Amino acid sequence: MADAGQKAREGAEYAGGPVGGRIFIEWMSAGLAWLKTNCDIVNSLNVFPVPDGDTGTNMLLTMQAAVFEAGQTEGEDLSDFVQAFAQGALMGARGNSGVILSQIWRGFARAVEGHAELTVPVLAKAFSEARDTAYRGVVRPVEGTILTVAKDMAETAEKFSGETDDLLHFLEHVVEAANASVQRTPDLLPVLKDAGVVDSGGKGLFYIFDGALRHLRGESLDEADFEVRSLVDMDFESVMEEVEEGQDYEVIVDFKPNGGLDLQKFYSDLEAMGTSIQVGEGSGMYRMHIHVPTENRYLPIDYAMEIGTITKVHIENLMAQMDEIEARAKDHFKLAVVEPGQIAAVTVSPGRGISKVFASLGVHAIVGGGQTMNPSTKEIVEAFEDMTADRIIVLPNNKNIIMAAEAAQELTVKKLAVIPSRTIPQGLAAMLSFDPDGDFEQIVAAMQRAISEVETGEITTAVRSVEIDGVRVEEGQIIALHNGKLVLAAGDLLEGCLAFLEHADADEFELITMFYGEDVTREEADEVAGKIQERYPDLEIEVQDGGQSHYQFIFSIE
Amino acid sequence: MSKDSLPYGSTHISPRAIATIAYNATMESYGVVGLASKNLLDGIANVLVKDPTHGIDIHFDTNRLDIDLYIIIEYGTRIKSVAASVAKTVQYHVEKAVGLPVNTVNVHVQGLRINEEDAHG
Repeated sequence: MADAGQKAREGAEYAGGPVGGRIFIEWMSAGLAWLKTNCDIVNSLNVFPVPDGDTGTNMLLTMQAAVFEAGQTEGEDLSDFVQAFAQGALMGARGNSGVILSQIWRGFARAVEGHAELTVPVLAKAFSEARDTAYRGVVRPVEGTILTVAKDMAETAEKFSGETDDLLHFLEHVVEAANASVQRTPDLLPVLKDAGVVDSGGKGLFYIFDGALRHLRGESLDEADFEVRSLVDMDFESVMEEVEEGQDYEVIVDFKPNGGLDLQKFYSDLEAMGTSIQVGEGSGMYRMHIHVPTENRYLPIDYAMEIGTITKVHIENLMAQMDEIEARAKDHFKLAVVEPGQIAAVTVSPGRGISKVFASLGVHAIVGGGQTMNPSTKEIVEAFEDMTADRIIVLPNNKNIIMAAEAAQELTVKKLAVIPSRTIPQGLAAMLSFDPDGDFEQIVAAMQRAISEVETGEITTAVRSVEIDGVRVEEGQIIALHNGKLVLAAGDLLEGCLAFLEHADADEFELITMFYGEDVTREEADEVAGKIQERYPDLEIEVQDGGQSHYQFIFSIE
Repeated sequence: MSKDSLPYGSTHISPRAIATIAYNATMESYGVVGLASKNLLDGIANVLVKDPTHGIDIHFDTNRLDIDLYIIIEYGTRIKSVAASVAKTVQYHVEKAVGLPVNTVNVHVQGLRINEEDAHG
């Protein structure tokens, strides 16, 4: 037994032999190590119910407490170790995912009770009991979570328990089932699908047992698993701006692999060539992104040709790109600087152009964010916490951000007023009433009043077919929101804009400001503005580069 | 009770409606196995309740929303963590549905449920 333990510690392949308590805890220590290595990935998946991003951390702390408690045990008896392990998990349970994990271990320990060594039937029973105990802890289990993963693992364990007496082989099946189950979670829980992620707790549970398995196979636990994203999610913008010295070329290759692609090997081969590696996958097509030194610029292409069929190659000289970025940075706007004793204004803005307009109206800080990227309370607080002003006015400019902005008051000793602006034009209208040297209460009241003096139109493309407020919308149609409420759908952009203006009784107003989004060119915007001018010859129309995403146009009507 | 003046009239949200949202969130919260009548004198028969207004108290006072939950927790879970996560879940769901900031969620653990498995083993 001592020999087997030694072997496992060295990470050699598991060669069978009895598994007592001490060895089992070594497996679990490996699970803990693997979870720790991948903790950031698990944290990044957290979306429900409160997007804190701490599922990985909570599970890690729970596992640490469990392994620590088990380490105090004497002897070799499996049952003794696992009871201590479960007790440690229970006492150290942190957060929702930690509590569920502790219940999984509690059930596991109950099944193992009285067994001195781990065998396939005992382990199978432990997975079943883990599932049953975990499910008993909640009245209405939510599927598509760690509970579902525990259930799928148990079902696979039950299925294979009679077919093999080899623990490694058995565990392979269960871990494979865990992985498949994690991948299915978005199909069961719409909130995951909407966010484009898998369940964080389920992924954490997978890492624990995958770590044990990797240990048994003698594989490394130090290098983080990497994510293969969906093709649409690959964020080249941010990668591009983090150019490292010596990595002069950006190479992007789209290819279809011949047969299967060994991702681990693929990734490590790429690492030998360069940095900033990203891999995307979509229906069998892969896209790799890498930064390489000049002399290596053709290597990734040759490599991709060896393992598959290339469909597209893109090479760019990053040094030239960097020059461009710097040139663009020169064109940056200047924010007003707040003097001690003055009132500071903080606004949320979804795009550069809009930020620029806000800057020209005298805001002191800008927090990036909008419809699909709501800033957190913390980000809002950070924007003003270091300012010399102790009275702050915040413009959320989106109904989903108002609450986060209001919660900021709890995190700061500064005096905070949130103007409940639900749209960009409302925020801009409010800023027109702002005066850093005025009376705080009066200014807040004036800004609140200003909100209702502007009409807002938002024009965008429907991302799915729905019916809201009696308006039937097909995916891909142009839709218009009037003061945040869906009012109509149209076939094309111009038709949508004109129909919206009619709906908003534009002819009763004087000035229309159009902010065009990042997907619209100046020419397109001018063309639409021209058509609007034809329809409303008496109105003054102003076209501004808003730079916002999602909304082709934001209209402000005064 | 909660009242908003809107261009087309006004909206009233009753404490009972808020209690129903809180009830559903509580029931999906891990580690909580039931709500308890806040008044133990109501007797054991009432300990596990189905009516959302039993076991949940909503206090609404000019834009200040406070929620009291009287819950039964699964024996063998870490009570502190379960209580913290049910409070967080209820706050999140109520704020999301009603659009009002929740001032406090107070969790009163009225009892623990012991499973047969634990009782025997």
